[in-house]
Amino acid sequence: MYRRCLAGAAIASLLLLAACSSSPSQSATGASSKKVTLTYLTFLTPDLTAKFWSNSIAAAAKSVPGVTIKQDVDPTTDRDTYAKTLLQAGQFPDLLESITPSLYTSAGLLTPFPSSWINANFILPNDIKGKDYIPPTNSQIIPLVYYNKALFTKAGATPPTTWAEFMADCAKLKAAGVVPIELGGHDSFAAAMPLTGALSADVLGSDPNWIQQRYAGAVKFADPNVVAAATKMRTLVTDNYFEPDALSVSYAQSILNFNAGKAAMYPMGSWYLGSIPKSEWNNIGVFPWPTNNGSLVIPFSLGGSMAVSSKTPDAPAAFKFAESWSLNPDNLKSLISGDGAFPMLKGKPLASYGLSLSPAFYSSYSYVTSTNTKISSMSWATNDNALPGNVTSDFDAAAQALFSTSNVAGQMQQLDQDWASATASS
Amino acid sequence: MKPLRIRLARLDTGLGAVAALALVLYLMFLIVPVLLSLKTSFTNQNILFPTSSFVGLANYRAALRDTQLRSSIEFTLALAVAVTIVANAAGLCFAVLLNRTSLSYRVLRTLAFLPQVISGIIAGFVWSWMLSPTGLVNHILTATGLVSQPVNWLGTPQLAQLSAGLVVSWVLSGFTAVVYLAALQNIPRELYEASSIDGASSRQQFRMITFRMVAPATTISVVICLITVLKLYDIITALTGGGPAFATRSIAMYIISVGFSNDAYGYASAIAMVLLVLTAIVALSVTTVLRRREVDL
Repeated sequence: MYRRCLAGAAIASLLLLAACSSSPSQSATGASSKKVTLTYLTFLTPDLTAKFWSNSIAAAAKSVPGVTIKQDVDPTTDRDTYAKTLLQAGQFPDLLESITPSLYTSAGLLTPFPSSWINANFILPNDIKGKDYIPPTNSQIIPLVYYNKALFTKAGATPPTTWAEFMADCAKLKAAGVVPIELGGHDSFAAAMPLTGALSADVLGSDPNWIQQRYAGAVKFADPNVVAAATKMRTLVTDNYFEPDALSVSYAQSILNFNAGKAAMYPMGSWYLGSIPKSEWNNIGVFPWPTNNGSLVIPFSLGGSMAVSSKTPDAPAAFKFAESWSLNPDNLKSLISGDGAFPMLKGKPLASYGLSLSPAFYSSYSYVTSTNTKISSMSWATNDNALPGNVTSDFDAAAQALFSTSNVAGQMQQLDQDWASATASS
Repeated sequence: MKPLRIRLARLDTGLGAVAALALVLYLMFLIVPVLLSLKTSFTNQNILFPTSSFVGLANYRAALRDTQLRSSIEFTLALAVAVTIVANAAGLCFAVLLNRTSLSYRVLRTLAFLPQVISGIIAGFVWSWMLSPTGLVNHILTATGLVSQPVNWLGTPQLAQLSAGLVVSWVLSGFTAVVYLAALQNIPRELYEASSIDGASSRQQFRMITFRMVAPATTISVVICLITVLKLYDIITALTGGGPAFATRSIAMYIISVGFSNDAYGYASAIAMVLLVLTAIVALSVTTVLRRREVDL
């Protein structure tokens, strides 16, 4: 009787193990008789809807007949963490949209695109140690400072170029009963925009190689120049220039607040351009984050489409699909109009997309096309200047912490400790 | 008709197979993963690399020096104690109030259990909106004149921690209410009748009969509340994201951050083992103390 029980249990275990076997993408070895299925990690936003993905995938899939593209929609907002959980489950996608490639390259998980193809099709490369893992189809400036022209006029303020002028404008606005800056600090990335602006302008503006030097251990966040830049964030807090209860206001609410004229300025990535209502097109202006001496520094971030996994069963098909998708101008249209993305395809100027865009968009785009000091946006770069591990979240948390502590140096020292932890495991 | 011995033998065979299957599932989905995690905790496993090296107790020594882990443990333990007390007190109150047989009370019981039915993510998102400066809670507080300005429920570390405690207590009070309700309905009515005859007041009846007779339910409810909060992830993620400035980051959130953002899978496994041991110690200690109370009765 007991032997029959054990036999029954053993059979049940074998059935369960068979049911838990690895995914088809791992087991496919490209045998010519099998149809290939490639998994594609995507995500949803108000502009990148299910229909957008469905249409864009169908269009690009025509370049790879016989290949099926299966979407794996990220249920979270952290694509990199989701990709890593899939990796642990043996289900690393073949194609990964808008991830941070520097997090994977040391493990050889991604295959770079041919340099010749990148140079032939895109205005700027976005390389990691000389290789491009994501076609640099678009770019962002993170942050810019958007301002309400009517409120500025009411307070007698003018778009500043120096930090002193910026603080003077904030004081004028506050005296006029206007909230100077909308933050949306409940979402940590939004809370960190002023800190990103200050460190990008002051630290990277003085030394564009600062992040590489940080990797080499030659500089630290606790250095006096970095602490001085970070102190600007604390000053904005102590002078009460943010909206009331700024850390309770969500990013989504902050957009509504600023569009409704409840604050005069809004430091945010250039994706905000896609959220300016048409009724406010002529009332919203933009200026770069002010520097100490008024020099123009643009915190730039190249984005892109999809990376290709080095584990994909059919690399030629994966690259063909990726290249077709990346070069389709229709895909960029949604990103330009809805996400404020600046197109970076060679031979495809902005006008060629036939879109009606706000004056603020054209003003912002002029910073991309004109010759100026472009530096990597602190904590937003996806190339060699990407921050390691979880340091981006730690950076955002430091910005929130500056609302409740005056120990700016302590927060920067914590960032150095976080950097050490993140790089110790790589 | 078959002899009784044969019928019982056939019943034993069936039950044995089901028990064996349950044991296999338990081994496969609980014991084996825990043992694999324990093994990983002694390595420098990086989530992106297939191989790793044995590092002994290095991860555990690092955990002792980790100030961020210490902050997460302090917050999680404080939350566990506070939520357990509040959720059990509220659950017992609801149960006493709802311990009636009419239809309206049965409907109210269903509503009392509603927080437990909603997923943690949904509960977190809904309360995140309700506690925002323009949310329902601040709207009621300002409209009734209780406060002159909206309260910054999620914007300061202290208030965010308080808000997290209140939301998690609300979610768990549905569970505790049901547990206590079931226990209340098993208390013999004769005890209350006899005590009434002896002149006992309502308060005395609650203290000497109700509170003592629900002791087994208290044990279950307290232990499950503690375990639930010690491994809390979903509600906090949706409500505060662990902010502001990681003030509400639970141990589970920190494990995910270490394992999947810093790629330190070995170290994350070590922290997970620490959480397992902590949970086991807390659960066993509390169970021992509370079961002693049951025996005393």
